[in-house]
This record gives sequence, C-alpha cells and structure tokens, in this order.
Amino acid sequence: MDMDHFERLGQPAQHALDRDALEHAYLQRAAAAHPDKVAQDDASAKRAAMEASAAINEAYRTLRDPVKRAEYLVKLAGRDLDSSDPDSGAPQMPQSFLIEMIEHRERVAEAQAGGSLDALRDDIEAQESDALSAAVSAIDGGDHEAAARHLVVRRYLQRLLDEIDELD
Amino acid sequence: MAYSDKVIEHYENPRNVGSLDKNDDGVGTGIVGAPACGDVMKLQIKVEDGVIKDAKFKTYGCGSAIASSSLVTEWVKGMSVEEAGSIQNSQIAEELSLPPVKIHCSVLAEDAIKAAIKDYQEKNGEKNGTGAGETR
Repeated sequence: MDMDHFERLGQPAQHALDRDALEHAYLQRAAAAHPDKVAQDDASAKRAAMEASAAINEAYRTLRDPVKRAEYLVKLAGRDLDSSDPDSGAPQMPQSFLIEMIEHRERVAEAQAGGSLDALRDDIEAQESDALSAAVSAIDGGDHEAAARHLVVRRYLQRLLDEIDELD
Repeated sequence: MAYSDKVIEHYENPRNVGSLDKNDDGVGTGIVGAPACGDVMKLQIKVEDGVIKDAKFKTYGCGSAIASSSLVTEWVKGMSVEEAGSIQNSQIAEELSLPPVKIHCSVLAEDAIKAAIKDYQEKNGEKNGTGAGETR
C-alpha cells in the first residue's frame, strides 16, 4: 500500500508522461482489479479489490492532469501544497505578490464595468499557464522548492480565474 | 460545507468592507494570503491615540474567510492596539463555529490584523522615532 501513484500505474516519476501509455496502464490495471472479478461471497477479498480499484482511480486522476501531476511530484519531494506548514507545506508568497493579487481584483472590477473582462481574463490565463510551465521546468531541473513557489503562484491565479468565471 | 448561521450572516451582510488611505500615518495595512487555496485578505486599521477608531477589509476568498475578516474588523473597533494584537484565531473560529477544514480562514484573519498592527507600528516607529504605543 506504500506505492506512489507513478509506481501504481507503472510510470516514470517525472512530469513528461506518454498519455497513451498512461491510459493503457490505467485501463489494464483497473480491469484486473475490478471488484466484480472476486468471488461475490468473499467479503474481505471484495473489500481489498474495492480499495485497490479506488487507489488506481486516484492515481489516474492525479497523473493525467498536468497541474495535479506537478503538484504531486512536488509533494513527493516534501512540499504538500494543501498544507500551510511553513516547512513542508505551501510556501508563503512575498507581500509584493499579494498586493499584486489585490490589485488584479480591482482591475477585474474595472474591466467588468468597462466591458473588457475577456481581455483581462486572457492575460491572467496566460500568466497562469506561464507559472505552470515554469514549475514544470523547475521540476525537470530538480529544483522542487522553486517549483513549489511557481505552483502556489498558479493557484492564486487559478483562484482569480475562478472568480472571473463566476461573474459571467 | 455547511456554514454556520453566523458565517452566512457575515457573508451576506459583511461589515466594514472597503479601504482606508494606506498613506495615512495613522493607518496600518495588512495583506495576507492562503497559499493552499489562493485566498487573499487585506485588512486596515486607523489608529488615534493608541485606539483603533476604524477598520476596513477586502477579502477575496470563501465565505469563512470573508466572515472571519468581517468579524475581526467589528471586534477591533474601539480596542487598543495591544488588545487587538492579542486576538487569537481560536476565538474567531469559536465565534463563527468554523469546522476544522475552515480553521485556516480564522488563522488568515489573525495574521491579517497582526500584519496591519505591525505595519502601523513600523510606520510610526520610523516617522516619530518612538515605539508603538508611545503616543505622547
């Protein structure tokens, strides 16, 4: 049960994955672990099969998504971005960055009033995409601390995009 | 996911939303963020004679984060800077009945008021050559 998601689906622990190979590995393992394959009257075997199935599904959900995959690689390297622990969780951003995020919100309000929300959204989406690319480069270069910072920037920008989408 | 009545009340009817002039010597500004979810909170206080006369906030985040900052701005008005600095996130979480997954929202509000006080103290320490709390 100590397998990580990459091991579980037989993939190399890196950001660049072959999508077809990943999907093939998932389908093969999901079929093999399907709870219907075990004897219906064996409760413990059935529970074990359900747990194995759930673990395979979770691994696939994580690895097929480029953002989740990047965040997971950073987590394996010791930075869990869902935690706010300063040493092992998401790194804190500098004050200047937070001020920029507040100013972005003020710009969103102005753009909404002025009818230029789409252009602003495109701009923020481009920044979000750049942050992910920077994180992937850092992961490829083995710098997981830098990757964690880029991924946190991406989360803030994602939050902003979600807010803009709620306005529509 | 179930928000308490108090959270919903603050969320639908937030107190003290807005901004104060950050260049005013009497105004302290705290800006903090929750890296895990991307919430951002700006909280400002206006201090006269060591007492917080006004407080404003702008929070971009979930209902619990908005309610936590709204509650803090309500609480700190009329408090001394020292009193406001001793507010604990547990008091906020208790008042709003925040569930464990939303405790970090109350932590954010505590961090924000502490950051605003620090900003005020740094501004006034530098300008007047006196420490904070020494108003005469």
